[in-house]
Amino acid sequence: MTGASSNVRAAGAIVSLVALVVAAIAITDADPLSVMTEVVQRALFTRAGFLEALLRAIPLTIMGLGVALAFRAKVFNIGMDGQLIAGSVLAVLVAPFLPLGPIGLFLLILVGMIGGGIWGRIAGELKSRCGGNEIIATIMLNYVAIQILSWLVRGPLQEAAKIIPRTDLIDAAFRLPVLLPGTRLHAGLIIALLSVAIIAAFMSKTRFGFKLSVVGSSSSVAQYAGIRPGSVASLALLLSGAMAGLAGIVEVSGLYGRLQEGFAPGFGIAAIAVALVARLNPLLIPFSAFGFSLLYAGLGSLARKGTVPFPIINIIEAAIILIFLASSVMSTRAKEVNGHG
Amino acid sequence: MDEILLVSSLLAAGIRLAVPIAFASIGETISQRAGVINVGIEGIMLVGAFVAVWLTVISGNAWIGLFAAVVAGMVMAAIHAYFAVILKVEQIVAGIALLFFGLGISGYGFRLTIGAWGTAVPVPGFEQLNVLGMANVPVVGPILFGQHALVYVMVGLTVLIAWMLRATRLGLIIKGAGDYPNAIDAVGINVDRTRIICTVASGAFAAVGGAFLSTAHLWGFVEGMTAGRGFLAIACVVFGRWNPVLGVIIALIFGIADAAQIRLQSYFPGIPYQFFVIVPYLVAILSIAIGSRRARTPAALGVPFRKAV
Repeated sequence: MTGASSNVRAAGAIVSLVALVVAAIAITDADPLSVMTEVVQRALFTRAGFLEALLRAIPLTIMGLGVALAFRAKVFNIGMDGQLIAGSVLAVLVAPFLPLGPIGLFLLILVGMIGGGIWGRIAGELKSRCGGNEIIATIMLNYVAIQILSWLVRGPLQEAAKIIPRTDLIDAAFRLPVLLPGTRLHAGLIIALLSVAIIAAFMSKTRFGFKLSVVGSSSSVAQYAGIRPGSVASLALLLSGAMAGLAGIVEVSGLYGRLQEGFAPGFGIAAIAVALVARLNPLLIPFSAFGFSLLYAGLGSLARKGTVPFPIINIIEAAIILIFLASSVMSTRAKEVNGHG
Repeated sequence: MDEILLVSSLLAAGIRLAVPIAFASIGETISQRAGVINVGIEGIMLVGAFVAVWLTVISGNAWIGLFAAVVAGMVMAAIHAYFAVILKVEQIVAGIALLFFGLGISGYGFRLTIGAWGTAVPVPGFEQLNVLGMANVPVVGPILFGQHALVYVMVGLTVLIAWMLRATRLGLIIKGAGDYPNAIDAVGINVDRTRIICTVASGAFAAVGGAFLSTAHLWGFVEGMTAGRGFLAIACVVFGRWNPVLGVIIALIFGIADAAQIRLQSYFPGIPYQFFVIVPYLVAILSIAIGSRRARTPAALGVPFRKAV
């Protein structure tokens, strides 16, 4: 296959996908163009929409970093939703035993990361010890985590009033401070930006960051270099899970103050799209996360008005990933042509 | 005697619960044998489940719903084939996108059609059969003679495809495309075309699994109703070592585990029901732990074929 014909095919795919999204919106009798401009307007030019997008970008950035960590090593963690739950559950369970004050808040966040890390590590151990596929393992662990959360908020952890399936509020000392008075924008934003810097440095400056890329590019090269892909994969899932746990406890501590079911719906899925569009580059992830958050905030408000059903978001996410894949085909072809020409 | 009847109804229900997973696993076996991994079959199953209900309600005929679901599943899988085989991108990522696509399209479609009608819609789905009038024979009747037509189709297809893979030229070509694509190419067979056909076939199978779930088993559509069955099907393929018969047997184990947990819930009302719901998932995790070591993966699985120049 020549570079040119594959470029045409990739371009064809991109055009078809855009057409499909437009058609999906048009089918609801809405005007696709006005829907899209309304989405952008609400998200970018209204204060509420912009703040909502900024809030949503916090967990998406943190989880996007976790996805990027794992995907670098071709370890496909699609169980971040479960790891997020595991982290927040463990943190809320441990909270009553922590000292009140900044140290307590720090420990709470750490416990959240440990919880998510453990959940990721289970899949990691299955992969490194048994050669088990991490995609299946992480997905199965999602369902297990969802059921455990459902039991806890209906059973032993349910609020004292026993009305709604949710826990009581955690102590005010464990809440992340609000950054902008009068809004819900919390210090999780700082945590997210710090994470970007730390993960970026980790990936480019440390031996393990290097190992991740080697394993990702070729496991036989890795073995030749004395790197055990299994143990790298296991550690990648641990770290990736820890990021999901961090995102979870930041949501709980910064936004809700308590555990409830479905408090982070579809974040794991969105984080994959976020990381892929950022080309697994930690420094680009906050921008990608904010872009998707704008989409969420804008489409969310349209969905509440009943203009377009909300699952359109999954269609758009899928289309964006596929468009990203097709466009990366075109850019590698371009490189090949330049290299040979 | 009571125990025997209990076991009999457990097995009969276990088979019903296994069918969606079994269909999807047969399809995934075919595409993986040809070298294409599709982690998006969960999404295809969801689309199959939705389209089957939608068209069944409109036409009043479950077979028309099933046919429409198959077509939709093939279209979904064709998207995967286009990206995985023709554009030669990372297959896992394309599969993940397919999963989101399925989630989105089935949820979107449902809210625009059946979900928007505002009333609960009766689905004229598949009835259980009474083969040779023997469904009421104690113990073996419900298991062997009282199943849905699709159950018998599934058993027949499993045998047929196992034979096809083992003993026919077509089987040799498919296995060659997944194991030694260069050799297959050298004897003049189009590797990419073989892979595309197998991928599209896997979509048809996954969609039948989804359609069974919504028109024969639960008689309705709920967003996300496949609840991980597509991934269980992939586990079946791996644990069944890419053998369709073994894969279906593993699916049966998942089905029986599922049927058992539903029954156990009512026997032990004191234990939170969530503990039972996780049983099939734990069985799957356990099977991954036990079953992956002995696996012999097709050599070129997930590797795009590029002609040597």
